[in-house]
Amino acid sequence: MPNASALGWTGPAQDADPLNLLDEPEEWAAFSMREKDAPGCWRSSVVFEGMHCAACAITLEDALRSVPGVSSVQISGASHRGQIVWSPEQTRPSQWMRSVERHGYKALPANDAHAHQRRRDEARRMVWRLSVAAMCMMQVMMYATPAYLSGPGDISAEAMHLLRWASWVLSLPVMFFSCTPFLGNAWRDLRERQISMDLPVALGMVVTFVVSTLGTFEPEGPFGAEVYFDSLTMFVFFLLTGRWLELRLRDRTAGALEAVLNRLPDSVRKRQPDGSWERLSIRRLAVGDVIEVLPGEAFAGDGTIVSGQTQVDEALLTGESLPLKRQVGDRVIAGSHNLSGTLQVRIEQVGAATRYAQIVALMESASLSKPAMALLVDRWAKPFLMAVLLASLASAIYWWPTDPAHAVMVAVAVLIVTCPCALSLATPAAMLATAGALARSGVLVRRLSALQNLASIDMVIFDKTGTLTRDALDVVRIHTRQGLDPEQALAWASALARHSLHPVSRALWSEARRRAERSSSLPELERLTAGEISEQAGQGVLGRLEVTGSTGLNLRLGSARFCDAPGFSGHHLQVSLADDAGWLATFELAEDVRPEAARVVARLKALGLTLKMLSGDGPHAVAQVARQVGIDDAQGACSPQDKLKKLQAWQALGHKVAMVGDGLNDGPVLAGADVSFALGQSVPLAQSKADFVLMAGHLDALVSTVLRSRQTLRIVKQNLVWAAVYNAACVPLALMGYLPAWAAGLGMALSSLLVVLNALRLASPLPTPDHDLQPGHPA
Amino acid sequence: MDILYLLIPLSVALVFFILAGLWWAIHRGQFEDIEAEGERILRND
Repeated sequence: MPNASALGWTGPAQDADPLNLLDEPEEWAAFSMREKDAPGCWRSSVVFEGMHCAACAITLEDALRSVPGVSSVQISGASHRGQIVWSPEQTRPSQWMRSVERHGYKALPANDAHAHQRRRDEARRMVWRLSVAAMCMMQVMMYATPAYLSGPGDISAEAMHLLRWASWVLSLPVMFFSCTPFLGNAWRDLRERQISMDLPVALGMVVTFVVSTLGTFEPEGPFGAEVYFDSLTMFVFFLLTGRWLELRLRDRTAGALEAVLNRLPDSVRKRQPDGSWERLSIRRLAVGDVIEVLPGEAFAGDGTIVSGQTQVDEALLTGESLPLKRQVGDRVIAGSHNLSGTLQVRIEQVGAATRYAQIVALMESASLSKPAMALLVDRWAKPFLMAVLLASLASAIYWWPTDPAHAVMVAVAVLIVTCPCALSLATPAAMLATAGALARSGVLVRRLSALQNLASIDMVIFDKTGTLTRDALDVVRIHTRQGLDPEQALAWASALARHSLHPVSRALWSEARRRAERSSSLPELERLTAGEISEQAGQGVLGRLEVTGSTGLNLRLGSARFCDAPGFSGHHLQVSLADDAGWLATFELAEDVRPEAARVVARLKALGLTLKMLSGDGPHAVAQVARQVGIDDAQGACSPQDKLKKLQAWQALGHKVAMVGDGLNDGPVLAGADVSFALGQSVPLAQSKADFVLMAGHLDALVSTVLRSRQTLRIVKQNLVWAAVYNAACVPLALMGYLPAWAAGLGMALSSLLVVLNALRLASPLPTPDHDLQPGHPA
Repeated sequence: MDILYLLIPLSVALVFFILAGLWWAIHRGQFEDIEAEGERILRND
C-alpha cells in the first residue's frame, strides 16, 4: 500500500508539534461533535496508547478531569477508546492531550488516519519484544541445563561462572528491553502513588534480576550463589506471550466494532474540473464531488453511482449478508465495500451526515458504557492488589530466617501469580465480543448493560405496524365482474397504479409484478401503459389504457363510490376498478405481515417468553395480525400513554419486559421497558433511543440476540468464577512456596488468556436467518 | 574443555546475530499479513 504522504496527504504537517494543529476548530471537528447537553462544549473521541488494564483507565480519567475546562471523561479499558467533553473557552485539545502524555500515555484523535499506522507500530514493537524474550529465554535455558543435570564437582567453578555470566548478558536485553512496558507502567504508578496490575509483576522482575545478579557477581553475598535467570526470562516470555495473544484476541473480539469504526478510506481519488484525478484526504471531500472507487475499496461518503456497475457489500451497515447489485443511478452508502467494478460516485453526504457516521457514534458510546458487573470488579481491583503486595511481603518475612534466597523467590511467585487482569477482563471482554458479533449481523447495541438485562427478560411486547407487519399493504382477495379474469383486472389496475405513490397503488403494482413474474409475462405487463392520467384527491385515479386491437379503455381506480362498486363485507381495505361500462373489480388489501414474524413468535415462545402485542390500530386489524403470527394476547386502540401504563403494570407484577417497536412513534414505551428493540431501517439512528437496533429490518435477529445475550451472561459468570478460583488456589500455593516463579508467570498468562478465549466464543457469527423467505433479495 | 571459553561467548554473539535478523524481518512487516501471501495466488489481478 502506498504511503499517505506520497499520495498528496494533506493532513497535519510533520514539522510543527502535531498536537498544536489539533487546536484549529476544523481539525478538532474531525474527531469531535458538539455536545448536545452542554451548549458550547465539544465531545471528542480519542484512542489511547499504553493502556493495559482497568486501573489505567481510572488513572487517565483522573488525569483528564483535573484539566480545567474538561467537564466529563469516559474511558473504556477494554477498547482503549475514550470520550472527553471539554469547553473551547477554557481549554484546547492539545492541552488535555499533553496532560495524557504527562501521565505516560498517548491520546490520538479517533478518526486520525495516523491511528492505524501507530497501531501497526505498536503491534510490531510487541512482536519484537516477544521475539527478544523468546530467543534469550531459549539460550538462557541452555546455560541453565548443565547446572540442573550435573552432580557436584562435574563442572569446574570457572565454567559454571562463565555460564552464569553468559546468562546474565542475555538477561540484560530481556530486562531492559522486553520488560520495559511492565517496568514503565510500574514506575508511573509509583510516581502517581497509584497501583495497577503491572506493579507486582515489575516488582517481581526487578527482585529476581537483582538477586540473580548478586548471585553471579557476589556469590558470597546474603543470597548465595543461586541464580534465577532461567525463571526470569521464562516468566517474562510467558507474560509477554499472554499480553500479545490478548492483544490479538482483543483486536479480533472488538474486531467488528473496529472494522466498522475504521472503515472509511484515508484518501479518495477525486475528479478535477479538467477531468484528471487527484488524490486527497477524505476530510477535504465535499458534497458534489465525483470520486473513483476501485474494487475492494470502501465508499467514502453516501452517494449515487454516475458510471459503472458493481456488487456491494453492506453487511456491516445493514446486516444484509449477500452482495447487492448496484448500477448507474443507485445509491451507495459510506463504509460499505465496492466488490467487483470500478465506479464513479457523486458524493451526496459526507462526514457526520452519513448513516455510517451515525452507526459509528452509536457504537463508540456503546463500547464505552461500562456494564454494571464490570464496575463492581473495577472497584475491587485496587484493594486486591494492595492485599497481594502485603501478602508477598509477609511471605518474604516469614521465610527469611530459613533461607533468604528462597524467601525472596516465594515473594516473587506471589507477586507474579495473582491476576486481577483476568477479573477485570472477565465482563467487558465477553460483552464486547457479543456486541461485535451482533454488529456483524446488523444488530447495534447501544448500551452493554442491555445485554445483561436482555438475558433476564421473560416478556416481549410487540408493536404492530412496522414491527410485526411491514408498512406495505398486501393484496389478499380480488372480486371481479362476471367473466373477467382477476389477473387481467389486476394488470389493468396496476397500469394506473404505477403512476401513483399512494400505498394502495404501490401494493397493487407490486402484486401485479409479482404475479407477472411468476407467469413470466412481465414484458406484457410493462407494455401496458396508461395515458391521460389524472388524480382526483380523496377519490382515485383516472386514466386511459391503450389495448392492442381495440379502442382503449377509460379506467377509474379508487373508492367504491368512485367506481360504483357493489359493497363487499369484510374489514379489509378495499379499492375498486371501473371502466365506462361500470364496475370491473374490487381488490381487498391487508397489512403485509412480515414473513418471518410467525416463526420468530414461535421461537420466542419456545424460549419460555410471554408474548404480547400492543397497538394503536383498530382492534379488528390487531386481532387479525395477532392470529396470523400466533400471539394470544393482543390489544388494539392503545395510545402511547396506554401502552406505557400497561407496560408499567406488567413490570409492577415482576415481569422483565422487552419492547419491540419501529423506534419512531413509541419512544416513551421503548424508554420505559427493561430492554428495547427498534427495527431500524427507516429510523434515524441518532434519534432512536432503543437499546438494540435491528438494522436489517427483519425480526429473525431478535431471537438470536436473546440467545446470545443469555450465552454472554453465562460466559461472564464462568469467567468471574474462573478468575476467583484461580486466585484462591494459586495464591496460597505460592505463599507456601510450592510455586516456582516461572510456573507463576505461566499461570497468570494462561489465566488471562483463558478468560479472553472464553469470551471469544461469543464472537462467532450469529446463525443466519433463512434467506429464502425474504422477498426482495437479489437472486 | 577449554573450547567452552570460546563457544559460550560465541553462542551469546550468535543470539544477538539471530535477533538482528528477526529485527529486520519484523520491521519489514514480514509477519503482518500472513494469510494474504498464501491467498495471493488465488486472486485474478
